[in-house]
Parts: sequence; structure tokens; C-alpha cells
Amino acid sequence: MGSFLLIFLVLFPMAGAVASYLIGRKSKSVRDWLVLAITVAELFGALLLLYFPGAALRMEGICGLGLTFQADGFRIVMALLTAAVWMMTTLPSKSYFAHRHNRNRYYLFLLLALGATMGIFLSGDLYTTFIFFEMMSFASYVWVVQEETSEAIKASRSYLTIGVLGGLVTLMGVFLLYHLAGTLQFDLLRGACAAVGDRRLLYAAGGCILFGFAAKAGMFPLHFWMPRSYTAAPAPATAILSAVLSKAGIFGILVVSCDVFYRDADWGMLILILGVVTMLLGAVLGLFSINLKRTLACSSMSQIGFILVGVGMQGLLGAHNQLAVYGTVLHMLNHSLIKLILFVIAGVIFTRTESLDLNEIRGWGRGKPLLAFSFLMAAVGVGGIPLWSGYISKTLLHEGIVEYIEILAAQGSAGLMRVIEWLFLIAGGMTLAYMTKLFVAIFIEKNPEKPVEKGTYMDKPTSAMLTISGLTLLLFGLFAHGTMDRIAEASRSFLGGEALEHTVRYFSWTNLQGALISVCIGAVLYFGVVRFLLMKKDRQGVRVYVDRWPRWADLENLVYRPLLQGLAFVGAFCSRIAASVADWLIYLIHRLFYKKAPQTVEPKTNEQFGAYSNRPVYRGIVGETLAYELLLYGAGVVATLLYLLLQ
Amino acid sequence: MPVWILCLPVLFPILAGAFMLARPIEDRRKRQIYVAGAVIVNAVLAMAVLVWTPDEALTLIRFSDTMQITLQVDGMGRIFGILVSLLWPLTTFYSFEYMKHEGRENKFFGFFTMTFGVIVGVAFADNFLTLYLFYELLTLATLPLVMHSMDGRARYAGKKYLIYSLSGAAFAFIAMIFLLSYGSTLDFTFGGVLDPAKTGGKELLLQTVFILGFFGFGVKAAVFPFHGWLPDASVAPTPVSALLHAVAVVKAGVFAVIRLTYYGFGCDFLRGSWAQTVVMTAAAVTIVYGSAMALRTPHLKRRLAYSTVSNLSYILFSVTLMTPAGLVGGLSHMVFHAVIKITLFFCAGAIIYKTHREYVYQLEGFGRAMPVTMAAFTIASLGLMGIPPLAGFISKWNIATAAVDTGMPLAWIGVAALIVSALLTALYLMAVVIRAYFPGKGYDPASVKEVEDPNRLMTVPLIILSAASVLLGLCASPLLAVFERIAAGL
Repeated sequence: MGSFLLIFLVLFPMAGAVASYLIGRKSKSVRDWLVLAITVAELFGALLLLYFPGAALRMEGICGLGLTFQADGFRIVMALLTAAVWMMTTLPSKSYFAHRHNRNRYYLFLLLALGATMGIFLSGDLYTTFIFFEMMSFASYVWVVQEETSEAIKASRSYLTIGVLGGLVTLMGVFLLYHLAGTLQFDLLRGACAAVGDRRLLYAAGGCILFGFAAKAGMFPLHFWMPRSYTAAPAPATAILSAVLSKAGIFGILVVSCDVFYRDADWGMLILILGVVTMLLGAVLGLFSINLKRTLACSSMSQIGFILVGVGMQGLLGAHNQLAVYGTVLHMLNHSLIKLILFVIAGVIFTRTESLDLNEIRGWGRGKPLLAFSFLMAAVGVGGIPLWSGYISKTLLHEGIVEYIEILAAQGSAGLMRVIEWLFLIAGGMTLAYMTKLFVAIFIEKNPEKPVEKGTYMDKPTSAMLTISGLTLLLFGLFAHGTMDRIAEASRSFLGGEALEHTVRYFSWTNLQGALISVCIGAVLYFGVVRFLLMKKDRQGVRVYVDRWPRWADLENLVYRPLLQGLAFVGAFCSRIAASVADWLIYLIHRLFYKKAPQTVEPKTNEQFGAYSNRPVYRGIVGETLAYELLLYGAGVVATLLYLLLQ
Repeated sequence: MPVWILCLPVLFPILAGAFMLARPIEDRRKRQIYVAGAVIVNAVLAMAVLVWTPDEALTLIRFSDTMQITLQVDGMGRIFGILVSLLWPLTTFYSFEYMKHEGRENKFFGFFTMTFGVIVGVAFADNFLTLYLFYELLTLATLPLVMHSMDGRARYAGKKYLIYSLSGAAFAFIAMIFLLSYGSTLDFTFGGVLDPAKTGGKELLLQTVFILGFFGFGVKAAVFPFHGWLPDASVAPTPVSALLHAVAVVKAGVFAVIRLTYYGFGCDFLRGSWAQTVVMTAAAVTIVYGSAMALRTPHLKRRLAYSTVSNLSYILFSVTLMTPAGLVGGLSHMVFHAVIKITLFFCAGAIIYKTHREYVYQLEGFGRAMPVTMAAFTIASLGLMGIPPLAGFISKWNIATAAVDTGMPLAWIGVAALIVSALLTALYLMAVVIRAYFPGKGYDPASVKEVEDPNRLMTVPLIILSAASVLLGLCASPLLAVFERIAAGL
């Protein structure tokens, strides 16, 4: 039963995708209901999985090496999260896409990607993960290009390029790892990799595998596609991209970090540094952005950075990794729920206003208490305000860093880690600042040009979904020991975490201090930077948001595109030269030796048969001389002699 | 089964084709029935022979004890025979529709049917002399197909094809003579025929001769720098490009290289020698070169031809690893690439047949206009790029793991070439797919108003082949088990 459930979760949505596509050509409303029914059934399937922990399925021979599926605590949590997010984004999809084209295509690939994502999270070896990861990448490409505007097409190209490139580099890493470790099974990998003698090759393999997964997660320096793609994709799709697909990337990073490089401090340091840069860069970009979805996209990047900090700390802390493991898992969960709410709200706003520019949508949320409530829940959640769930996970991550500082301080220096701790708190402050910016712009400020809309602005399922998700964040935060701690405890073994010795007192003064520092930094940044530097008065004397981020500072346009074009040029140049080498040789031989047969004369009447002129035409660079004949004779003698000597 | 049945699938289509050339059938319907009948009967015959193989070999002509024309089926020949016998009827039905606008159908189908027999001859050859005979016949039988339209470009391509192939075969002939004088027999023997008593001290010479033979047979497998004929030959009618220049002729080249390497000189003799370095380098260079050229070729069929150049070298690279795993990888890519590339060419042909558009940039918005064709094209593209779980992924995985397992530095370079080429493949194929489905701004829907899918004779083969490339990927293991048995010398 358990193994049947595993394969059902993967294949059922894929079969449903085809069915809904075929039905959608006949009736759109039936299709909409069917898609919803499929996602609901998927969620129930995932819930059933709770009764079969440890379900495993090995499918020999499929796809060459065979596929392995397995369920354990962490993977069941991720599967549940996936199914829930998919269902909750399908609810508002109906009204979001009401006046748009190509819905049938969208739903087809939506459900295909659901099956593929389930495959990733339930996979039992890296081979299976990779196969479903590629399927997910390609299926989700269609979401990004869905709108078919020129921005969407540009964004989707970046998305596809990084997807293909990442997939290939990862594949290379998987080859290497398979060669080195001899297995790709998660439960055997940890032991097999520890036994690998050549650490440098292992790092190369890990780096290659990391590349593809990090690209999907949006880690620096592979984050460049993220803001553009998230902005271009339809809002429900962006919600999934941010809530689940980025976590699929994190899942891969976790496999590399917790199985291949289990408690490897150097690897942990690498992930930590990249995580810190991602966290800060995302937050700074988010602070500068004046587009709702773009800010949220940058925020996603920043939160991924927080999660990566947790992953890195696991490697560094080694046997003391409890807090980091807890923080990583819980921040993944929190971020998914929070971004789900925020992107759905962005979708609601976009359907009514057809705009995402903060200056145009400002004040639109006035008089819409339900929307304001759910936005606020998500904003304080992601900002790490005590009593909400984000506070719990951020505190755990922060405590992980503090614990490492204490360990280091006992041995001597902890300078770098102290810097990282402060950067962590500053990034938390920036999170608060840009979320405040969004909240103030949409729900508090008045828009002098547009009056506040009255009447219904979203349908009932969407409002219900937003309210429930918002309340979940609060409940998780209030009753952290009963809810979040238990989820983390169930997930611990997959990440190879130690058991927590005593429950964390989340609301003790030391733990609250971190949040307080972040709040203060956030307030300073909001009033000092956002209101002061990033706004100006326009001609009517109204203060508007301005985009002060320099246009040229775009990693994709500045580095990657020129690099790729340069490589393409060099490749084409080399191919050209290679292609003509043979021609040159032939030309040279032609000119040296070739006595051209009498020139062909083609009478105009018949082109099949030619007549020949009388004299042979010689076209060599060496004239027809006795010396030349002698030269050739000499060359022949030398060749013969050489042959005789060598025999 | 009586022994003489071995020669039936070789001789029957040659006679049937020759009869058509001598007595042309003017009525299209009668001709179609005749050709379809001949091809299907022969495919069934070939299958029957492949399933119930007689125990003994059939010697047709006997020159001397070592030189005979002999037919017999072994594992390699069985794979190639099955591949060809399955794809030939599909292509024939496709051609019925396609050749309507090319004309001179009697000539085309005559030679097309004859080629079937010749290819089966290549597959059934039991020694190098027989292989050589059918290999040369293959060049001659397919020449009229390449030059079918008889305009300037077609005649140029035909001449180029003839010169390249015949000179290649001449080099291969040299290799054969050396095998005869330094080996015990010309019969295919897994592990090689070289006689250690005779080869002592002549290793360098023999390795040089192997390189000659490799590049000689490699001409048909379009190995760089002897690949030039293949892109030019794409002026041939599309069924020819599809079946001959993606499957039969080029794979006959690969097949001959495998015979030469594994059954002639023997892996143990060549492994680790400089000859292996040379041939592996040539294959790795061709892999990247073919993909790079494909990317900068806007003509769709030429682009696919360059892609074939690259993919044939995947097989050659894997084969020249000279390990059992390498042979498995090569054989799997030989089969999977055949199915995928024939699909791509069929799609290109369907587009040319319906719209006379030949360039990639003319295909904007075709996704909606020709849904079946473009869906097949997309599946095949993803397969060729090696996106799991499609067929191309399995073979690439096999090739790369085989390369990694040898532990040679050159093998790593080859794996890097595979990865780079996969990226280029993604670029040159996805560019077509993206244009077709997401044409972007400035696209005029009126430009595809008249465009539609071709009729069932064309779409049904497309659907069958696309389904095959998915199924082969999902259920690859029985096939791989067969390849492993061949690679083990069974």
C-alpha cells in the first residue's frame, strides 16, 4: 500500500494532466473543476502518506538505472507542503486566468510539474531526483513564458538557459559522484562518500551537483534569472515557483550537504558564504525595487539565503548541528507558506489593477481589511516578529550561529562569525524594511489619482485560503513547541541532525534580543533609507517611489550574456577554422601537385556532356620545370628509403 | 529453418526494386501496393530470419578458404537488422505521401527498395569481405536517391557523396587486406582476428592501418574531417535524409567501425595505444564541432544533418572506449538516435511538404498550425537533448558512465564534450521549438493561416516514433540487457 501510494502521488497528476488537457478542449468549466479535484486528491494522498512512514519503492529497470522512491519524515513534510501549495494556488487560478488565453496549456504543465515535484521530494536516490528535477524544470518553463509578452519571453529564455545548463552540470556531477561513491542511494551515500579517498574529486562532483540545484534555488551568483522570471510569470505560478520549486533546489543542496559532505566544515563554509551573499544581495535588491512582484522575488532570494546559512552552519557545527537543522527545515516551511500568501495577494492586486508598480497600486488596499490582515500576517511572519512563525525559524538559525561563535571563542578567534551574525541581523532588518515599504504603500498611503475601489475584489475560495494560511503562521508561532518543533523533529533524520537536548525557550530574553536588534535596524532603514532616499516629490508635490538601483548593475546583462556571446563567438570561430583546415590542405596540394585536366567547355545546348579544349591548363604555383620534376623524384626516393629503413 | 533463407531478405528487395526500374508502374495506387507489399514482406522475412536464425552460415560465393561471401546473423547484426526492418516500412508509408511533390516516383521507390536489401546485407555479413561488398553496393544504390532532384545542388551533393564514400572504402580495403595477412581469418570474431604470432613487432604498422580503416569506414559515419558530404546530402528528398542519412547509411558506417574495432583488430590489441587516442580525439572533436555547426545553420534539414554528424560521434566515441560498457553505450545510442533523428527529419519533411519552408526562422507560430508535427518535434528534441526520462538520456548516461569508468583522461575530455554538445543541442533544437510555440512580438498569425498538419500517412509514423522514443526511455532495461550480452561477446 505504501509503495503504491508513492507511485500514485507521482503518476496520478501526470495522468490527470493529460486528461484535463483533453477535457479542456471540450469544456473549460469541467476542466477547472477537474484540476482542482486532482490537486485535492493529491493532498489527500500525501496525507495518507503519514500512515506509511518508511514506505519505499524500487522500480528496477525504468530509465536504465531504475528509480527509487522513499518516504520519511522530511520527505513527507515536503510532499505535504507541495500538495497543499498546489491546491491552494489552484483555488485563485480560476479567477486570475478568467480573461487570459492558453489556460489549457497552463494547467497541463501545472499538473505535469506537480507529479515531477512529488518525484523529487519522494526520491530515494540522486538519479531519481535528477530525472524528476529535469522534468520539473522543463514543465515550469511553460509557466514563465505563459503570458507570451516580450518580457515573459526574455525571462523564460534566461529560465530555460539556466535550467538546461544547470541540469547538464549537475548531470556531470552525478556521473562523477556515481563513479567515486559507487552508489547514489541517499541512505548509502553518507557512508560511501566518507570512504572516498580523493577529496578533491569529491568536491568537484559536489560543486557540479550544487550548480544545478543552486540555480533553481536562486543562490548567488546564479540568482539572476529569478527576479525577472518571477515578475513575468502569472501570479499563481510565481507562488509555486517561490514556495515549492526553489525548495526543490534546496532539497538537492541538502542532499549534497548532508549526505555527500556530511559535517564537512569546508563545504559548510562555502555554502555559508554563498548564503550570506545571497541573503544580503536579495534584501538590498528588494529594498530598492518599486515593483510588488519584483520585491517579493528579491525577498525570496534573500530568504533562500537565510536557509542556506542554516545549511552551511550544519556543516560547520558538525555534531552540534541540532539548532541549524531545526532552523533550516522550519525556515523552508515558513518561507513556503509566507510566499504563497504574498504572491497570491500580488495576483489578486494584479487582476484588479493590471499593474504591479508601487506608485500605481498605492492605496489600492485601503478599506480591504481581509487582504490587509493576510498581508500583515505574512509580512510580520517573514520579518521575524515574535509570536509569528518566522521568528521561530530565524531564532533557531541565529542561535546556531551564536552557538558556533561560542565554540570558536573557546578555541580563540570568532571574528568572522561575529561579522556574519551581524550581517544576519541586518538582513533581517532589511526584510522588515521592505515589507513595511510594501505594506505602507499598498494599504496605508492614499492614492490621489485613483479613488478606493468598492465591492468584491476576490472570490470566496481565495479569501478563505488566504485567511487560513495567515492564521496558520500565527498559530505556528504561538504554539511552536506543539507544531513546529514536532515537524522539525520528524524531519531531523534526513538531514542527519542530532536530537535536541532540551526544548528551546523561544521567548527568553536572549532570544528576543536578536529580533529586537533586527526590528531596530529595520526601523532605521525604513525611515532613513526608504522614506528619505528612495522617494521624491513629483511635479504635483506627491511623494512617489523611485527606482534608484543603477540600471547597468545587472549580473545577467553585465556578465553572463556577454560571456555566453563571447563563448559562442569563439566556438563558431574555432569551428570555422577547423572546417576549413581540410580545405586549405586540399588547396595546397592542388596548387603544388595538381595538373588540372583540360578545362571543361560546356556547350550551352547540352549541359550533361562537355567537350574538352586542346591544351591542358596548369595551375600550380611551381612552374612546369625540370627542377620541379626532379624535386618530386627526390621526394619519392626519400619516402622509399624511409620505408625500407623503418621496415 | 533452412540455411538458404538467410539470403532471401537480401536478394528479394534487390530483385523487387530492379524489376520496378525495368518495368515502371505508372499507376500510383498500384505502385504503392507493390512497394508496400515488397517492403512489408521483406521486413517480415528479415524478422523471421532474425528470430529463427539458422545455425549454419550461408556461403554464397567461395573465392578461397579465407575469402568468401557469407551471410550469418550474430548479435550485432540482429540489432541493426531489427532497427532497419522496423523503420523501413514506416518510412515507406511516409514516402508515399511525401514523394508526390518530388516526382519520378518509380525511380525513387525502385532504388529505395533495393537499398533495403543492401542494408540487410550489411547487417547479415559474416566476414569483412561480405561487409565490404555490401558497403560499396550501399554507396551505389543510394547515389540515385541523393541525386534524385537532379538539379545543380543535388548533383554536386551526389558527386561529393560518391567521392567521399568510395575513397573511404578504399582505405577500409587496405585495413581489410592487412587483417587478412596478419590475421587468421576474415570472419568476424569477437575479440579480434589478429594472430599474435604474425603481429609481433608490427604493432605500430597495424595501429596505423587501424586508423586508416577507422577513418575509411568513418567517412560514412561522418567523422571529422570527412563529414562534409552529409550536410550537403540533405538536398535529397526528406525520406532519404531521414532513413538513410540518419539511420541506414550512416549507421552502416558506425556498424562497420564496430566490426573493425571489436571483431577485426580487437580491443585488447588497440586499448591504450596511440591509435585509440587518435580515434577518440577525432570523435570528441566531431561531437562538439557538429553541434556548433548545427547551431549556426539556419536551414532546418542541414541543421539536423550537422546534428547527426555530432550524434554519430557520440556512438563512435563510446565505441572507441574499447570496453564492454562502451559498446553498450554506443549500441544504445545507435538505436535511440535512429528513432529520434528519423522523427526530427520526418517533421522537417512534413513542414517542407506542406509549406515549402526550409529555414528555422520561417517556423514562427507553427506550434498551433501543425500541432501533431510540432509535438513530435518537441518530444524528439527533448529526447535528443537527453532530458530524462526520454530515450536520449539513457544512452548518454550509458556513454558517460562508460567513459568515466575507463578512468582515462581523454575519456573525461570526451564527457566534457558530451556536456557541451548537449548544451548546444538544447540551443539549436529549442530555438526551433520556442519559435514554433512562442513566436513573440511582431509575429503575424496570418502567415500560418493556411498551414496544417499533413495527412495520416505522415502523422501516424510520427506518432508511432514519438511514442517509441518515450517508451524506449522508460523501458530501456530489456534492450540494454541484450546489448550487454553482445558486449560480453555472446
